[in-house]
Parts: sequence; C-alpha cells; structure tokens
Amino acid sequence: MIEATNIRAGYGDGADILTGISLTANRREIVTILGPNGCGKSTLLKTIAGYVRPRAGTITFDGTDVASVPIHEKVRHHKVGYVPQTDNVFGTLSVSENIMLGARLLGRQEKEKRFDALMRQYPALASKKNRKASALSGGERQILSLSRALMAGPEILLLDEPSAGLSPLMMHEVFDAIAVIRDTENLCILMVEQNAFEALGIADRAYVLSLGQVALTASARDLLDDPAMRKLYLGAEIEPAA
Amino acid sequence: MPDRDRGGHFYSGLQHRPIAGCTTPSLSHNAGSSAAASAGIAQTEKSMFQFLFDVLIRSVDLALIAVALSAVYSLIKFPNVALVQYAVVGAFVAMSLHAAGLPLLVAGFASALFVGLLAVVFNILIFERLLKSDSAIALIGSLALSMILSAVFLLAYGPTAYRFKLQVSPAMRILGARITDHQVTTLVLTTVALGLFALILFRTSLGREMRATATNGVLAAATGIDTRRVTNIVVFLSGMLAALGGITLAMRGSVSIDLGTNMMLPVFAAAILGGLGNALGAVVGAIVIAAAETVITNTNIGPFIGEDFYFLPASYAPVASFAILVVFLLFRPRGLFTSEVNRV
Repeated sequence: MIEATNIRAGYGDGADILTGISLTANRREIVTILGPNGCGKSTLLKTIAGYVRPRAGTITFDGTDVASVPIHEKVRHHKVGYVPQTDNVFGTLSVSENIMLGARLLGRQEKEKRFDALMRQYPALASKKNRKASALSGGERQILSLSRALMAGPEILLLDEPSAGLSPLMMHEVFDAIAVIRDTENLCILMVEQNAFEALGIADRAYVLSLGQVALTASARDLLDDPAMRKLYLGAEIEPAA
Repeated sequence: MPDRDRGGHFYSGLQHRPIAGCTTPSLSHNAGSSAAASAGIAQTEKSMFQFLFDVLIRSVDLALIAVALSAVYSLIKFPNVALVQYAVVGAFVAMSLHAAGLPLLVAGFASALFVGLLAVVFNILIFERLLKSDSAIALIGSLALSMILSAVFLLAYGPTAYRFKLQVSPAMRILGARITDHQVTTLVLTTVALGLFALILFRTSLGREMRATATNGVLAAATGIDTRRVTNIVVFLSGMLAALGGITLAMRGSVSIDLGTNMMLPVFAAAILGGLGNALGAVVGAIVIAAAETVITNTNIGPFIGEDFYFLPASYAPVASFAILVVFLLFRPRGLFTSEVNRV
C-alpha cells in the first residue's frame, strides 16, 4: 500500500533530516514510527503526507508514484487522511461543519449516511455537533479530527502523535478508536507516536528511527516482548501489555 | 469620457450635513409655547432621522471596502493597502463603460468582474511571491502597487474629478430625512452584495472552505482543500466588493485619483475595529466609524466657542477615524470581537 524507498528530506536549505529511510505499510495494518525527539518521525510522516517534498527517494501508494504530490491532492485523489499532532480542528467551525469538510467530494446521500454512522460511533461528538470545535476537550478534538479524516473514506490514514496532550484516560479511548478503525474500515494506518508503550499495544509493526535512519524494524509484539530492544530503543524498563 | 466634476473636493455622504446639523440648540430658542415646543421636538426627530440616515450612508461607503480588506486579511495575513485603489479602478472603469453606452448596472457588474480578475492577477504575480519572504514585505509591496495605480489614474484621467452621467431627481423625504434615489440605490446594492457574500460564507461548501482556510490553512490543506484556489476566490470576491464600493461612492459624488487615499484611513479603521480578518465584523466597524465621523461634523460646537452655531468642516471627519484607530490599536488591537469563535 505505502512504499517509501531511500527517502532523504529536510526543510528549506537545511541539512537532511531523513537520510535514506525505507518503509512499507499495508492495508488492515497499523504501523507505528517510534524514536526519540528529533529523530525525524514527524518529518517522515509529513514527507509521506506531502507537506515536505523528498530530496531523493521514491514514495508510492499502491504502485503510483506520489513523492511530489502535495497534501491536498493526496487527500482528494489518493484517498489519504491526515491527522496533525496539534491544531487539528477548525475551532471557528461547528463540530458538524468540521466533519462535513471531510466529505466535500461525496454525494449528498453518502454524506448523510457516513455522518450518521460517525455520530452513532462517537456519541460524545453527536451530543455536541452544533457547538464550535474550539469548545471541545483535547480527546474530543482528536476524535473529531479522526472523524473528519474518515468522512472522506480514506484507504490510508496518517496520524501524527494522536496521544499528544491527552490525559491517560483519553489516550486509551483514542488508541481504542484507532484500533477499531483499522479492524472495521480495512485501512492502512501509519502512526507517529511518542508514547511507545501505548502505540505498540495496538500496532502490528514498528519502525524505530534514530538520527534520520531506520535503526530497527520489528513486529510490535516482538518489540514489546524483547527487554533488550525495549531498553535500547524505547529507553525504559517498560512492561509489556498483558 | 465621463463628466468632469465642477463641484470641488469630493466627500460623499457628508454633502448635506450642514442641513442635518441643526440639532438641540434650536429647542432652547423655541421654548416659548407648547406649539413651538412640539415643532422643536418634531424638528429634533427629523434631525435624528437625518443623522441616522447619514450614518447609514457613510457606513455603506466604508463597509464594502472594509469587508473586502478584512476577508483578504483573514487568508493572506497582511492588510492589502492596494484594495482601496481597486475601488478607484472599479469606479473609473464603470464610469468609462457607462460613458461608452452600457447601462449602469451592466457597466458596474462588468467593472466589478474586471477588478476581481485584476486582483487575482496582482495576487498571483506580486503578493504570492512577496509573501514567501514576509508579510511586512507584502504590505510594503501593496503600498507600492497602490502608488503605481494612483500614477496610472493620473496619466489616464488627470487630476480632476469625474461624475457618472446620471439623471438627478429631487430628494425624497422619509421620516423627515432627505434621501436621494442614488442613496437608495447604494443602500440596496450594498445590502445585496454583503448579503450574498454572507450567504456564500455561511451557507455554501465554498464558504466552509473559505472559513476553514482562514482559520488554519495548513489543516485545510490536510483536509484536501486547495488553499491557493480558495485564497484566489476570496481575492476575486474582495476585488469585486471593493470595485462595487468605489462605484457606489462615485454614483453619489465623483471619483478622482484622491478617492483611494481619502478612503484608506476610515476603511482601515473600520476593518481594525471589526477585528482584521473578521469580514462581517468590518460592517460593525464601518457603522462605528461612520457614526463617529457624522457626530464630529454634525455637532454644533458653537456654544463651546462663544458662537451660536459652528460646525466642523467635513474635512475634519478623518480625525474621528484616526482617534478611534489609535485608541483601538492601543487598548483593543484585535478589535471589538476578540473571541476566536467570531472570526471568519
């Protein structure tokens, strides 16, 4: 589904932040990208999304070269949904307007059908659908942002630190929602996350980055089960999920 | 060519202020009998309606251009000074087309379309490039464009003022206020234009995209919105609004190369008062500025300086804009509507 090969990328005239990264992600799979601050996780996601144009390397979605396709065209023509880390809702618009922004290319009936389905799935949003998005809590905003991305019926979902700024309770809710989306929507989900332990709890595979390169790739279960890898790449004596 | 103005300095909306200006002092002179008192009260009511109507007319003078300025600011985050000159382009082009034989409505619409397209061309050729450096650079660029346009007007039309060749009919009296048919036309056109703009903004998917792009352009792109296309649509609509503003001003007075410069201060004051970027807030800003200007020029300050009657000349009106602008910049730089929720 997503195949990135030997990606080199950076900002402006600055040095390369990604120095030859390759990764793959498939349908019905959550792939998480982990690593310390500054290792290039978000830059990699932004490059795949189309915010940053790679200086070298190829990015394909289902075999189609999309390396130089900007984000708005990827969303419109390549069925990509992107959820940024912060500022991920339109605060001046109502909850339903936010969601409907994701459905611009759909027919009227399809819009209503999907909207109703999302409202049933996330009743917390349904009860606030006429409120401004700026009035929502952090967790509700994250769910709203996910809902907006899902409205367009994406095949690829790119999530930039979905747990950023959330309380532990809300973080669990958001991760549970992401796992449900993978299982029910048959999506390919690529997720950058600081909270490695929680991310590995729902992910199928993981890439651990270091200094702009892939330092390790493994299944999430293997990464969680191997104490040496956990200590080396996740930086803590964390306990695997039960 | 359009008619040259023989009437001296143009300042539409303020022309009949001395008539409207006879306010409360007349009451004290006529307080001898109840009949005289009733007449005095009636006169005061007439003056009040005239005052309100003057404020309304001055508001619509400012509103279209202020809304245009604010709408563009909401997307490209710099105040485009050249917008006031787009109003002058609109007035000159409409006047020339009308003089060439086109009906006024057709000439006005064609001119607004032309200015809308011109605004998009300037945005693509100049402002998109300057904004890659800095918004301050873009602001200076817009000032330079404004001066270039002024020079072009001077070359094409010279320094004199021009008027539309329109039939002049006697003023109507509504609730004692003196109202001309051109003022009514201006009110209707402005209301329809602003109503349509609000309809697009709040009742269409394009409007939702415009508001989303104004709120967060990066996120809008991540939602699949072509933010460049949306920005250019807003620039186009703003150009049309500014042109219409210039045309309605010229319909009730005249147009000269000074029009843009004269409008700059009150328009900016209205837009800042409404909260730069809040397009419909600019309408409220325009009403406040218009009221302040009308009060300054319609108030009899004679008793304060030992005279029976003394009214400040219309040229003092910008003092109100300036004073309000300075006060708001100092104490409420985000305007009357500081809530993020109210911004569009």
